[in-house]
Amino acid sequence: MSRNQKQAVLFVALLCLDLRTHVGSAPICPHGHTGCHILSLADLFDRVIQHSARLHGLSSDLHSEFEHFFLPSKNHIGRVYRKCHTSSILTPNGKENAQKLAREELTEVILKLLTAWRDPLSQLHQSMAHQQDFNSFSSNKALELSDMVHELRKGVEKVTEKMQLLGMISNSVNGLSSSEALLPASESGEAMSDYELVYCFRRDSDKVQNYLKILKCRIVPEHGC
Amino acid sequence: MDKTRDTPVLPHFTGCRSREQETFRCWWSAGTFSNLSEPGALVVFFQMKNTPLSDWQECPEYTATVENECYFSKTFTHIWTSYCVQLRATAQNITYDEFCFTVENIVHPDPPVGLNWTLLNVSRSGLNFDILVRWAPPPSADVHTGWMSLKYEVQYRQRNASHWDKLDLESGTQQSIYGLQTDKEYEVRIHCKMSAFHNFGEFSDSIFVHVAPIPSKESVFPTMVLLVSGVVGLLILLMLVIFSQQQRLMVILLPPVPAPKIKGIDPELLKKGKMDQLNSLLSSQHMYNQDTYREDPWVEFIQLDLDDAGEKSGSSDTQRLLGFTRPGPKGDDDSGRASCYDPDLLPDAEGLLAAHCEMEEHHPLVSESGPSTPSPEATDAPFLPFRTQPVGQSWINMDFYAQVSDVTPAGGVVLSPGQQSETPGMNPDEKKKKGEDAGDEEVEKEKKLQLLVVGSDGGYSPEVVARQVESSAPYSPAPENAYHALPPEPGEEPQTWSVGYLVPDGEAQAPYFLPEAPPASVLPPVSDYTVVQEVDGQHSLLLNPSAPQSPACPPNPTKHLPSMPAVPMGYLTPELLENLSP
Repeated sequence: MSRNQKQAVLFVALLCLDLRTHVGSAPICPHGHTGCHILSLADLFDRVIQHSARLHGLSSDLHSEFEHFFLPSKNHIGRVYRKCHTSSILTPNGKENAQKLAREELTEVILKLLTAWRDPLSQLHQSMAHQQDFNSFSSNKALELSDMVHELRKGVEKVTEKMQLLGMISNSVNGLSSSEALLPASESGEAMSDYELVYCFRRDSDKVQNYLKILKCRIVPEHGC
Repeated sequence: MDKTRDTPVLPHFTGCRSREQETFRCWWSAGTFSNLSEPGALVVFFQMKNTPLSDWQECPEYTATVENECYFSKTFTHIWTSYCVQLRATAQNITYDEFCFTVENIVHPDPPVGLNWTLLNVSRSGLNFDILVRWAPPPSADVHTGWMSLKYEVQYRQRNASHWDKLDLESGTQQSIYGLQTDKEYEVRIHCKMSAFHNFGEFSDSIFVHVAPIPSKESVFPTMVLLVSGVVGLLILLMLVIFSQQQRLMVILLPPVPAPKIKGIDPELLKKGKMDQLNSLLSSQHMYNQDTYREDPWVEFIQLDLDDAGEKSGSSDTQRLLGFTRPGPKGDDDSGRASCYDPDLLPDAEGLLAAHCEMEEHHPLVSESGPSTPSPEATDAPFLPFRTQPVGQSWINMDFYAQVSDVTPAGGVVLSPGQQSETPGMNPDEKKKKGEDAGDEEVEKEKKLQLLVVGSDGGYSPEVVARQVESSAPYSPAPENAYHALPPEPGEEPQTWSVGYLVPDGEAQAPYFLPEAPPASVLPPVSDYTVVQEVDGQHSLLLNPSAPQSPACPPNPTKHLPSMPAVPMGYLTPELLENLSP
C-alpha cells in the first residue's frame, strides 16, 4: 500500500478505537470499577432525549414552512388523513398504553421508527433540493433531519446496548439493521409527496420523543415517574 | 367554522381542545336555529382515521354540567390519530358541520400555578429593581414523566397600561424580570404551550409587584458635597492663577504683534532715548553724528547750520547730500547729510537711516510735490524736499536735509547746507530772490524757520498744514511762499508731500510757520528750493523738470522730470495757488 493509504488505515483504526473507548464497553470498564469514567445510563438517556426533542422541533418547523407555502385550506379534512408508510408499525397511541408496553417492545418500536425514516428523509432532501419552490434553508433542514435521524438511531442503539448490558432489558431486542425496508408509499402505491412526508415525519418524531421519555422514566427511576 | 352573518347561522362546532394530551372536549353551537338548541337536538359523531377505518360513533359522553359539550375520555383519546367529528341533527339526519384534527394539535395546556416573585436587587439610585418570578407547571400536565414538555411565557405590564411586555420562552420554572421602576405597580401573568407546538393555554391569574423607592442615604449626600466643593476649589485656584499670571497669560494667548523690525536697530532703544547702541551703530556707518541726535532732532538740525556756516569744510554740499557725511560738529546737521536715498550708503546704513528717519514723527519729511505751475522756473536752487516713501524706506534723517542750491548741468544737485537763502551757504540766487521782499526780520526768522510740511504719509494733512501755515503766519502772508511745493494740480498724486518746514529750535510749538513768505512778489518759490518730485527706486531724486537743470543725485540719473508736477492736492489753498501761479 502507498504511504497515503497506510495513513488512512491507521487513522480509521484510531478512530474506531476511540469510539470504542467512548462507548465505555463492558470488557474495558466493568460495572462498578473505579477510576473508569462511565457515562451513566441517565446521562445517555438525557442526551438522546435532547436529540429527539431537537429532531422534533426541526421537523415541526419544516412542517410549518410547508403549510405556509402550500396554503392549506382551513378545513382539515383534506390533509388530515395521511397514510404514512410507518402506519403499519404498531405504536402505543397514549400515555398509558406506552407505559404498559414492555421496555423491550418500546425500545424496539423506537428503533423501528427511526430506521424507517432514514431513506425517506434522504429522498425528501433530494426532492426538495431539485425543486425551486423551496429555498435553500428548507432543503438544508431536510438534509439535517436525515442526518439527525441517523445519529439518533445510533444513540438509541447505544442506549439499548447499555440497558442490555446492565440487565435492564433482555437481549431479545434484535439488531434492527436488518429490518425490512419500509418503502414510503401510500395505499395506492404512489410515492408520497414531500408534504406528506414532512407531515408524517413530524408525527413520528413526536412519537419517538415521547416514547424515549417514558422509557427513561421507567428505566431510570426519578421522582414523579 | 365561525360564520358570523346576519343570515341564519348553521349549527357548528365552536372548538375542540385538550388540556393534558390525554382527554379532549368539543363544543358546538346551535346557531340561529333556536329549535335545535334543545338538548338532544344535535348529536356529535366521531370517527378515528385508523388503518381499519372505524365506524362513526356518537359522542361517548355529553357533559352534563356544560351545555353543548362532548367529552372524550382517555379511552377514546388516541394521540397521533386523526379524528373527525360531525354535528348532526338527530331527527333529519343532516350533518351541519364536520371538524377533523389530531389530538396533539389541539392541546392547550392549563395555566401554570403558584406564580410568585422575589426581589433580586434594587439599583444604586433606588429607581430600578429586578425581580425573580417563579411558578409551577399546571398540575394537569404530566411533565414529570415527560409526557408533556412545556414552554412558558411571562408577560408583565404597568398597572394601567394596555400593552403587555413579553419575555422569552422559558423551559424552566423561573425567570427574572429586569429594569422595573420603583414606585410603580406591575402586573405579571404567565401561560404555557407544548414545545414545538403553537397553542398557548389560558393565562394564569395576575400577580402584582410593587417596590417602594428607597430613599438614597449616606454616601449620596456627602459625595455630592465633596464633588461640588472640589469643583469650586478648582475654579478658585484657576482664577487665582489667571489673575496672578495675567500678563504672562496675555502674552501667551494674545502674543503681541511684533513691530516692524528694522535691521540693526531696536526701536525700543530709540524710544527710550538710549543712544548708546544707536550711536554705535550709526557712527560705524559714518552717517551720523551722535551729538546732533537729540530729542528734537529736527529742531537741532535747523539751528546748527546757521551757526556753523563758517565751519563748512571743503566738502561740497553735493557730497554731503550724497552721503559723504562725516561726523562733525553740530553744524553739520543740515548739510551733507546723506539723503535717505543715497545709494552710496551701505545697505545697513540704509536701514539705519530708514529707521531713523522713520521714527521721527515730526521728521522733516519732505514729500515731493509737484512744483506749482507758476513756479516751475523759479527754482534756481530748488529746495530739495525729499520725497517720503510711505514705507519709510528711505527716510532722511533730520540731519540730512539739505537745500539744493544748485543743479549742475549734468543733472547733479548741488546742495547747500539746507538753509534758506539767507544762510551764508545759500545760493546767491536764493538770496536774490528771497531777500528781495523779505525784511530782515523775516529773513532772520525765516532763517530759523523752516517748516516742513509733512507729507500725508507723515500724518499731517496737507490741508491742515496749509491752513496752519496761513493762520500762523506771523510773517507775510504769502502762504504760497511757504509752499514751494505748490498747489497741487488736481489729479496729481497727492501721495507725497511737499514742502518741508524746518522749525527752528525752540519753536516747536508751532511747527508750521510760514517760511519766508515774502508777499506774492517773491513768487517764484525760493530759488533755493527745488521741489523734488519723487524719488524713485533707484534712489534718484526726481525733481521738477522745469527746474534749471533736472536735479538729481549725480549717481542717480533722474528718471524723469515731469513738468512741474503739481503740488499734491490740499496743500495749497486756492489763494495760494493763484498767488503762486505766475
